[in-house]
Amino acid sequence: MMKARGSRMPGQGGLLARMFDAVARKSTTGLAERTSRRGFLGRVGVLLAGAGALPLLPVARSFGAEAPAEGETAGDAPAVTALREFGDPQSCDYWRYCALGGSLCACCGGSASACPPGAEPSPITWVGTCRNPADGKQYLISYNDCCGKAFCPRCFCHRTEGAKPVYFPSKSNNVLWCFGVESNAYHCTVSAVLGEAPDETAEAPATE
Amino acid sequence: MRMLVVRRGIGIAALLAAGVTIADGVTPETVSETVLGAPASTWFIAKGGLGAAYVFDAADGEMRGTLSLTPWTPTVRRHPGRNEIYAAETHYSRQYGGERDDVLRIYEHATLNPVAEIDVPDKITALHRHYLAILSGGRYVTVFNMTPAQSVSVVDVEDRRFVGEISTPGCAMTLPAGERGFLMMCGDGTLQWIGLDEAGAEAARVRSEPFFSVEEDPLFDEPVQTPAGWQFLSFEGLALEASVEDGQIAVGDSWSILGDDDDGWRPGGGQPITFHAGHDLLVVLMHEGKEDTQDQDGTEAWVFHREAERRIGRIKFEEGMTASSLLVVESDEPADEPWLLAAIAGGVRVFGLRTGKRERIIESTGGGSLLRY
Repeated sequence: MMKARGSRMPGQGGLLARMFDAVARKSTTGLAERTSRRGFLGRVGVLLAGAGALPLLPVARSFGAEAPAEGETAGDAPAVTALREFGDPQSCDYWRYCALGGSLCACCGGSASACPPGAEPSPITWVGTCRNPADGKQYLISYNDCCGKAFCPRCFCHRTEGAKPVYFPSKSNNVLWCFGVESNAYHCTVSAVLGEAPDETAEAPATE
Repeated sequence: MRMLVVRRGIGIAALLAAGVTIADGVTPETVSETVLGAPASTWFIAKGGLGAAYVFDAADGEMRGTLSLTPWTPTVRRHPGRNEIYAAETHYSRQYGGERDDVLRIYEHATLNPVAEIDVPDKITALHRHYLAILSGGRYVTVFNMTPAQSVSVVDVEDRRFVGEISTPGCAMTLPAGERGFLMMCGDGTLQWIGLDEAGAEAARVRSEPFFSVEEDPLFDEPVQTPAGWQFLSFEGLALEASVEDGQIAVGDSWSILGDDDDGWRPGGGQPITFHAGHDLLVVLMHEGKEDTQDQDGTEAWVFHREAERRIGRIKFEEGMTASSLLVVESDEPADEPWLLAAIAGGVRVFGLRTGKRERIIESTGGGSLLRY
C-alpha cells in the first residue's frame, strides 16, 4: 500500500485513508512536488506490475546491501549517505515521501528507510521519483511496506503524486504491498533512495 | 416497508437463579436478542477498510447491526436472492501471524453472523471494494487475488465449493457483466471480459481495444453499475459507459462533465461517483484542485443527467466539510425521493437527491466506504 504524492489536502478518500479513517483525519499531507516522471515511471510500472516472479533489483539493492550491525537501524544505503538532505523524516512533507501513502516507520520505531523492530520489509514494492530540494535532483525512491505487526497509527501520510488506480498496481496506493512476507498485516512504510533518477525523468521543472 | 426487527426473549431464569429479588409491582424485563426482518432498500453498509462493517437505514438514521470482518476485508456483497452476505477474508492463526487461511465467508442476513465458509487460495489481497462480485445467475462469486500476480478465484455459492482459479495478468478487479461473466480494468488502457460456462470454468475471454491512457488520464477504479453495464469516469472528468453484449465489450462515447466555467474543478475522493438509474443521474464528488488530486475529498456533489450530458445541480457541503464517498439509495415508498449519502467527518450526511436538502446526519458510522445493503 502506499503511494501517493500530493498537494496539501483537506482530506483524502483513497482506500488507505479510508482504511485508517481515524488517523487519516488527523494526518497532514505534503508538498505537491511536480515532476515529470510519468514517462519513466510508466516503464518501471510495467516492469514491476508483472514482477511476481522477478527479483526486484532496486529492492534487493535497498535492503539486501545494507545488513545493519546489531543495535543499528538498517537505514541508509551508500547512495543515501552521499546525499545532502533537508527536512524532517517524521513529517509527511519530507522530500522522499512525495509518493507515499501510509504510516511513517520513522515515527514507529524505525527510520525513513528501516522497518521498526520485528517488522518485515516486503520485497515487493513500487518506485517513485522525488526531487530532493537540497540539490534539486530527481531520485528514485523505493517504497516498501513493513509487515507482520499491528498497524502503527502514527504519522499517517497520503501523498498521491503520480499515483494510479489499482489496475496499475505498481503505482497504486490502493494496494497493500505486504507481499512475499510471513504476514500481510500492514505496519508502516519506509522509503529508500535507490539512486539518481535518469535524466529523462527530470525534464520538467519542479515547482515548489 | 421498513422493517425491522424481531426480538426473542431469553427469560429471567438466570436472574432468578442468581437470587435477584423482584420487587412487588414491577414487571421484570427480559433480555432479548434481535433478529433482522426483511431489509429495506434504504439500508446501507458503512465499511472501514480494516475491520467491521456496520448496517444502517438511511430512512431513519438508525443502525441495524454489525458484520464482524477480519482486518483484511475491504468489502462485502449481499446476495438478495439467497439472503446471504459474502466476504472474502484472510485469517491468521495468531492474529498478525501464524498460518494463513483465506476463505469466502458466508453471513446470514438474520443475525449478520457467519454460517459457512469456503476455502479459497491464500491469495486474497486487501485491495478494493471491487475485488468481490456476484455474477449474473447468482451461482458464482468471483474474488480478485494479487500476490502481486493477478488472478481470480471462482466460488460456487450454491454447492458451497471452490471451483477454480483464473489467471488474469495485467488486469484487476471483478465487475459483474454479461452472462456469468465479469469485466476487469487493465493497465494497458483496456477492459477484459471473462465469461464462465455453466460449471463455472472460463469459457470466453475478450479484450477491448485500448480506449484510455493510464499515464495521461486514468479512469477511476471506482466505476458504478448501470442497467446496461458500468459507468466510468476519468481523473480529468471524462464520463463513458461500457457494457458486454453478446460476449463482446462495447465502449460508448465519452463526454466531459466539466463545462467552460468549471476551470479548476476536478472529480475526486475514495468513492467519487454514484448513480441513480430511475432518473439516469450521475453524481460526482468535486473539489478545486490541481492534477494528481484524484483522492482529494469533495466539497460539493455535482448532479448530471447522463443522457443530456448536462449538469442539473450542485450540492454544497457545509463550510469546511468534505466528503470521501457518495452513494444513492432509494426508498421503498414511491412517494419518497431518492437519497444521496455522503461520508463526511466520520459519519454520513443524508441529502434529498432532487432537492439537495440535508435531511439528517448519521454520526459515527465507522467507515468511509458506502455500500448498498
